[in-house]
Amino acid sequence: MKTKLVLNFNPEASNLPITHNLIAEYGLLVNILRAEIDEIGGKMVIEVSGDDDSTNKGVEYLKKAGVGVRPFKEGVRRNDEICTHCGVCVSICPTSALILDHETRKVTFVEEKCVACGVCIDACPPRAMEILI
Amino acid sequence: MTAMEFKEFVATNGVRKAAKEVDIVTTGTFGAMCSSGAYFNLGHADPPIKIHRAWMDGIPAYAGLAAVDLYLGATELDESNNILHGGAHVIEDLVKGRAVRLKATAYGTDCYPMKEMDTYVSLKTMNQAVMMNVRNAYQNYAAAANSSGKTLYTYMGKLLPELGNATYSSAGEISPLLNDPYYRTIGVGSRIFLGGGEGFVVWEGTQFNPGVARTPRGVPKRPAGTLAVMGDLNGMSQDFLKGLTFTRYGTSLGVGVGIPIPILDEDLASACAVTNDKIFTAIFDYAEQKRSRSVLKEVSYADLSSGRVTIKGKDVPTSPLSSIYKARQITELLKKRILDGSFVVTEPVQRLPLKKSINTLDVRSEKEAMK
Repeated sequence: MKTKLVLNFNPEASNLPITHNLIAEYGLLVNILRAEIDEIGGKMVIEVSGDDDSTNKGVEYLKKAGVGVRPFKEGVRRNDEICTHCGVCVSICPTSALILDHETRKVTFVEEKCVACGVCIDACPPRAMEILI
Repeated sequence: MTAMEFKEFVATNGVRKAAKEVDIVTTGTFGAMCSSGAYFNLGHADPPIKIHRAWMDGIPAYAGLAAVDLYLGATELDESNNILHGGAHVIEDLVKGRAVRLKATAYGTDCYPMKEMDTYVSLKTMNQAVMMNVRNAYQNYAAAANSSGKTLYTYMGKLLPELGNATYSSAGEISPLLNDPYYRTIGVGSRIFLGGGEGFVVWEGTQFNPGVARTPRGVPKRPAGTLAVMGDLNGMSQDFLKGLTFTRYGTSLGVGVGIPIPILDEDLASACAVTNDKIFTAIFDYAEQKRSRSVLKEVSYADLSSGRVTIKGKDVPTSPLSSIYKARQITELLKKRILDGSFVVTEPVQRLPLKKSINTLDVRSEKEAMK
């Protein structure tokens, strides 16, 4: 099972080797999709692969370690009222979550592929993209 | 017929039949057109004011025209250079029906004693609100990529390092001037679809440069003709007029332009049958910060719109800057308006020049400037 999670760290939790522990202690495959750290803590978006039991135990471990854990539902939202379907975003999206349909010439946003990297946000001329995490 | 329909018609029936049976082809484009703006007449104040400086929602508007006439440019920004809200966005707000805060100052004269005003204006309160764009609807445009090691933020969008992407900005085969390459039907006085409403071609656009290299069928291989256009902001729509922001560049106005081309003869039918594989441009290296940039590759619009091009052996994803989706909508809407009689096609009253070249801006002496 693959699960996308948003992790929030306070400054203390930022120093824990949580990725290592998820892999070594709980046998989970961890794919870091986004990670940032600043003076008030850090944020990570990860995708973990493993069986349900290990995933749940991993999440328990994170919570005990003081890491805020919530499921990643919607990372980036497109305002369809604003989007002009120009297509500027399609060549800069690293995960091909934004695709230009060659028939209709409309831009399709495939949310499942989006990792909320945010590259599209300031590339969109009418500012139709909003980051939510 | 729309330009798309016409190309299909010619492919099946040939140019001769098309020239005989089709009267008008509708073309369209929707893209960032920086050389756009609008002028306004605000009506006179009591006591009257001869506006010296003016701001519309914080954006400076040019007031050097008599007392209460203003011109607001699409790329104008406020004093903080907030690129999320420029002249283009104020124009979009007005078209949406919103009121805009007007601040004006003046030095005061015997005939215009008022020195300061702070009020609201909208399309309903103004006498004239007219879009006046000095360079729109470029006939072809350059494409861009970036060979440097850092991301570049340009009017061609975000250009990723090491040729990470390429962007282009033309509606290609459905773009107006690419379908009438020698300006036989599009000229001064042509009625056009402008920003969802109606307008006219009023002159050649600035930087009009028809003398660039062309294909054997006459299609320019570089940016060539341009149009100066104007039309009433009343009647325009936010669907075809959009304030845009190019990060670390500034604002621009997304403008929808649609132009009908009467099929006068087989030559014009043949010109309007042009398809993306027969229209070429060059991808320039925007890593070079100079006037003449190196060409990385000559490409067709079929290559660009396929989504990938190969530059220096690298597979590079492409992005359009103009919305083909909206450009097609414009060709459909214009066709509908012509068919129901609400849009009347006009003959130009003056042709655009075929011989003209462009000058550059260089540091020169007063004497040299007069040579």
